[in-house]
Amino acid sequence: MKIVFTPDWFLGHDVLIEVFSFVILFLFFLFAIKGYNLSKKKNLFYLGLGFLLIAVAELSTILTKFVLYFDTSIVQEIGRIVITQKIVKTVDIFYYLGFFFHKFLTLLGLYIIYKIPSKNKIKHFVTSSEFFLTVYLLLLVSFICQSYYYFFHLTALFLLCLIIYNYWSIYKKGKMINTRILLTAFVLLAVSQILFIFSGLNLLYVTAQGIQLVSYIILLILIVRILKNGKKKEQSRDSI
Amino acid sequence: MGRKRNKVEIVYDILRIIQKNGGEIKKTHLMYKANLSHNQMKLYLNELLKKQLIGNSPDNSNLIIIAPKGRDFCIKYARVKEFERTFGL
Repeated sequence: MKIVFTPDWFLGHDVLIEVFSFVILFLFFLFAIKGYNLSKKKNLFYLGLGFLLIAVAELSTILTKFVLYFDTSIVQEIGRIVITQKIVKTVDIFYYLGFFFHKFLTLLGLYIIYKIPSKNKIKHFVTSSEFFLTVYLLLLVSFICQSYYYFFHLTALFLLCLIIYNYWSIYKKGKMINTRILLTAFVLLAVSQILFIFSGLNLLYVTAQGIQLVSYIILLILIVRILKNGKKKEQSRDSI
Repeated sequence: MGRKRNKVEIVYDILRIIQKNGGEIKKTHLMYKANLSHNQMKLYLNELLKKQLIGNSPDNSNLIIIAPKGRDFCIKYARVKEFERTFGL
């Protein structure tokens, strides 16, 4: 079975895109956690947690692909440590673990981001039975994805559609440009998931990676805007 | 009626009022503008002085001035507010 769908000429470029995604996601995590430290609002903490989980998921896939593309001897070493049975190919275990964590943490992060704007008892949602049930289901999906890769993209697409619906409602209320930018980034991420479903075709895989890169560039623009606007608004208040 | 402000929001309001007033303000004026009781204001001012977000004017002991750290706090808080609004939090 194919582990990655990257065409030969694109090997390494996809890792660079994932490194960039990781940096942007980590920046959002830092921003949210700094905000939480300042205002002590629980939903900022959960938003940060959501972004952190997706960032760690990216890191997991970066490390796995890095080893897969550039150093097979390390893989064999790690593989031997993970499992010494002859029945299972040791190297595969390492890949499967890496990609499993990528899938599970991405889906969990998206689920947390989806849950935040609903504000329904956000304080207790991580300890609620609904949360544990969802984690269990996401674990199941992540296991199934090892055999049927498109299940992951379908689930991610579903969660992204729910997130888009949430932010569309928020945008309709406030008509804030930043929310529109955020919405655009999520829509592009959803489009990339549709294309990833057909990753078997090299061109679609590369296009999906490209769209994902554009969506993370948009998220970077959003961070810059938030930093600039916050300062500008504060200074304009002084001059009133 | 507006909702009850939390501690950080009150601190932000106090600092913003001082900033809007040109960086300095009389304690009594601040008390009215920030909508605080005398005791509340004393507590907040002591804390802000301790954290070096504000300072006492060297010329007039009844006058308080905003410190550079206080201005930084206002900018950081405004950014957090912008972030929260973006995500509808």
